[in-house]
Amino acid sequence: MAKLIFEPIGSPLASFVEADGAAKNRRAMVALEARIEEGRRAVRDGWGPSYAERVRKKGKMATWDRIEALRDPGSEVFPVGTFVNHGLVFGEEKKTSPGAGVVTALVRIEARWTVVIANDNTVASGAWWPRTPEKIERAQEIALRLGLPVVYLVDCSGLYLPEQAHTFPGRTGAGAIFKMNARLSDAGVPQIAGVFGDCIAGGGYMPIISDVVFMTEQAYMVIAGAALVKGGKGQHITSLEIGGPDVHVHLSHCADERVPDDAAALARIRREIARLPGSAAAYYRRGVDASPPRHDPAAELSALFPADHRLAYDVRQVIARLVDDGLFAEVLPETGLEMVCGVCRIGGLPAGIIANNPLLTDHPEREAEQRPGGILYREGIAKISQFSRCCNDDGIPIVWLHDISGFDIGLEAEQQGLLGYGSSLIYTNATNTTPMISVLLRKASGAGYYAMAGLPYEPVLQLATPLARLAVMEGRTLAIGAYRTKLDEEFKIVAATEKEREEIRQGMEAVEARIAQDMDPLKAASRMDVDEIVLVGELRARLENAIELCYQAIGRRRVKNPRIWSLHDLAIIARGGGGRR
Amino acid sequence: MFRRILIANRGEIAARVIRACRALGIEMVAVYSEADRDSPHLEDADEAVCIGPPRSGESYLKMDAILQAALQTRCQAVHPGYGFLSENPLFARRCELQKTTFIGPPARALALLGDKAMAKRTLRAHGLPTIPGSEGVVATAGEAAREASRAGYPVLLKASAGGGGKGMRLARSEAELPAAFAEASLEAEKAFGDASLYVEKLLEGARHIELQILADSWGRAVHLGERDCSIQRSHQKLLEESPSPAMSPEARDALGRRTAKALAAIGYSGAGTVEFLRDARGNFYFMEVNARLQVEHPVTETVTGLDLVQRQIRIAAGEPLGIAQEDVVLTGHAIELRINAEDPDAGFRPDPGTVSVWAPPGSVPDVPEASVRLDSHVRAGYVVPPFYDSLLGKLILGAPTRERLLDAAARAVLDFRVEGVKTTLGLHARVLASAEMRSGDYGLGTLDAILGGHAWRS
Repeated sequence: MAKLIFEPIGSPLASFVEADGAAKNRRAMVALEARIEEGRRAVRDGWGPSYAERVRKKGKMATWDRIEALRDPGSEVFPVGTFVNHGLVFGEEKKTSPGAGVVTALVRIEARWTVVIANDNTVASGAWWPRTPEKIERAQEIALRLGLPVVYLVDCSGLYLPEQAHTFPGRTGAGAIFKMNARLSDAGVPQIAGVFGDCIAGGGYMPIISDVVFMTEQAYMVIAGAALVKGGKGQHITSLEIGGPDVHVHLSHCADERVPDDAAALARIRREIARLPGSAAAYYRRGVDASPPRHDPAAELSALFPADHRLAYDVRQVIARLVDDGLFAEVLPETGLEMVCGVCRIGGLPAGIIANNPLLTDHPEREAEQRPGGILYREGIAKISQFSRCCNDDGIPIVWLHDISGFDIGLEAEQQGLLGYGSSLIYTNATNTTPMISVLLRKASGAGYYAMAGLPYEPVLQLATPLARLAVMEGRTLAIGAYRTKLDEEFKIVAATEKEREEIRQGMEAVEARIAQDMDPLKAASRMDVDEIVLVGELRARLENAIELCYQAIGRRRVKNPRIWSLHDLAIIARGGGGRR
Repeated sequence: MFRRILIANRGEIAARVIRACRALGIEMVAVYSEADRDSPHLEDADEAVCIGPPRSGESYLKMDAILQAALQTRCQAVHPGYGFLSENPLFARRCELQKTTFIGPPARALALLGDKAMAKRTLRAHGLPTIPGSEGVVATAGEAAREASRAGYPVLLKASAGGGGKGMRLARSEAELPAAFAEASLEAEKAFGDASLYVEKLLEGARHIELQILADSWGRAVHLGERDCSIQRSHQKLLEESPSPAMSPEARDALGRRTAKALAAIGYSGAGTVEFLRDARGNFYFMEVNARLQVEHPVTETVTGLDLVQRQIRIAAGEPLGIAQEDVVLTGHAIELRINAEDPDAGFRPDPGTVSVWAPPGSVPDVPEASVRLDSHVRAGYVVPPFYDSLLGKLILGAPTRERLLDAAARAVLDFRVEGVKTTLGLHARVLASAEMRSGDYGLGTLDAILGGHAWRS
């Protein structure tokens, strides 16, 4: 029968986590989350309330107020790149650039998800810092891959000049933003621009390639500001006079329509979005309504992850709390036990899940032997490799849930050719066209991170929980490697004196601490190695949105109907059906 | 707000728009034909551009010249005034394409409303009562006769592409119909290039009452009350007043709201006037929409306190209306007297020439509470060109009561000295003194009755 059987996975929390354990886990999680939430608040505040006041005194709206006015009432906004440039300061004055001075977010407008790119006019008048262009380009890339309309809310004073060497010349510098504008247009992705204020130099070019441009009465677009125009001072000309709506709407036609103020511009943008084709998500749900998981993710996930990151948990219980009704059609459950993969519905739409299993599992050949989880062995690699290919064939978006230390190592691993199997998996992921979403649940180490379709393999989104540990290897492993000669077979310290033992111990701790710093998800987010940090309680809603994004545009990618999925062939072959045994 | 507006018109309305621009801090460019080279209002504009020879067809109606003038003088918008290109959908469309904002409704609204038969059908679908008659145009005299029988004689045959009384014939009976049809078609073809006619029942003893509507480009519209324009000669208005003596507040509110809603529904924006006929029993029937500012707009400005030209400009610049229907309050009474350079004793033949004396009254001594306003481009020494309409100016008065208003108007007309050309001032004196005017019980036939020296029956 060409159908998959969806079965309930997951059981009530109390049945597998004791009350004490749950409380301890929650406490640890709350502490981690507090850092993230505080960080978010700091970014949201920009340079402080006085800057927002300054904007409002001019009769303009602050950037987040514009986004509020734009979004469908009651809909959630999903930001991308909140923590870019977190912890960095620039220039001699040591200025911070919260969110790199730009807000990029998925915003629902007139029942269509759009990518909104909005200069933060409460941070240096929306100037561009190092990584601002890359953050904008990442948002444009998501729009391009998924065919989502882009709305630019432009209010930008140009490059932050002291750092121009890091933003102007490079391959991913400011010029690449206009390149992406062109590529989006070339690919038929709608782009709408509202110009709300300054739009100087780089800022000036941003709206022009967009399909429609609105200018408020305070908006101006200029190649160079009046200050740089010879004789400008003597003639008392202003940038508004040379590049305001009087010039660009009526004389140069570089803009389409003038509107009285911010609110009017946002209303017009909503009207334009309403003219676009609607979302195909309802079409692809095929009559299946969105339905929440049977167990509440917001209430329970934080109790499920052990406070000690070295301890295991049951990833099927995590999956149960991310998928509709807790229903999962697991594929090849008897093979490659260190990996869990299968098909589910998230928000009523089909999605594939590939997850590391942290628990001990039986060795496939040697009875009574078990192997640690969070590692890729031959069978697991082969299973998820084939599953990834099927999902790609079938146009099913894949969610990769990372909690992996790496590939198996040692003689058996080399003889079995894990290098080869792993490369085959990487080849598949590198050439997949179905959208992939990478979620760093916990560990994401070394080649395992690559095998699980980490960032270099171009997932459309890479999310991280506060537990994420992204590095080439765990600190302990690195320390062992660095101090190999001082350790015995069991990796215990061998020292002549107590003092020496202490020195080695401290040395190893220092190595671990440095890597732990690198692994801090806030650092990763600051460097744009993850797109967004998502609290575990938010993960379900975030995935629902991410999957819906994958099904909004129609005609941009293959989406096979479930009756003819390649996955069905896999199930038959795995059963060994047909030939004589 | 626009930096600069081109005023694509002449005479008193050009002067009126200049005044509104000045109040809004907008620069103005005036255009003129060779015959209007010395028009006094040109001095008040920031720039003036000559757009052609005296004949309207080669100047004020020449789209190319006006569009080019707007580009050359770097104007963001054009105000078309009334008449000329103000209701021309092609002109509005070309302004749109050139990104010179047309201060008026969108081209498609103009096209819809310019087709009188289509306008009637559309607005009936939006809930406005219409005069019994044909649904659309009637192709033959036979079809016209069938419609006429249904509606009931007497009927008017009216040009679908028309206005201003041209291409219109009265048929009192079936016998008169074929000839009326033929004559009206011919005249319509000559005047508008379109011979199509529709049939409308003639309402006798009717009054012409029109509603002023203001709509923005955000889908909101309000009505600003009515004007009674029943004092007409050959379908040319002579005098207008607001409120109408024949309009009750309930009727105003009900009809006004329905009308504003209908215009908003068809995507109208800007100032517009919806004309109705009111029969002797108090029923209102939609006639047509004037999709432009009207000559008599100052009457509404006086009783509402709103500046309609400024509002037009602001609406065209994308501003929301900012007025709720509850905010519109009609205070007092107002009247407008059109001062035309015509000889009422010689069949209202235009009387071009030099205005040697132009001495309008500044106030009315007997009625100090009355306001006096003159909208005119004329100054002493002005030479009235023979190529255009004969409107010299409009005298507008306002007063707390209608009785005092009429006293003031009568006195003001006496005090207004014009020499060098014949005017309609004397006629206004007769009308204002008439029993019909004083009682407020007048209709479309009243002026003819006064001129003919007989009484008018409502």
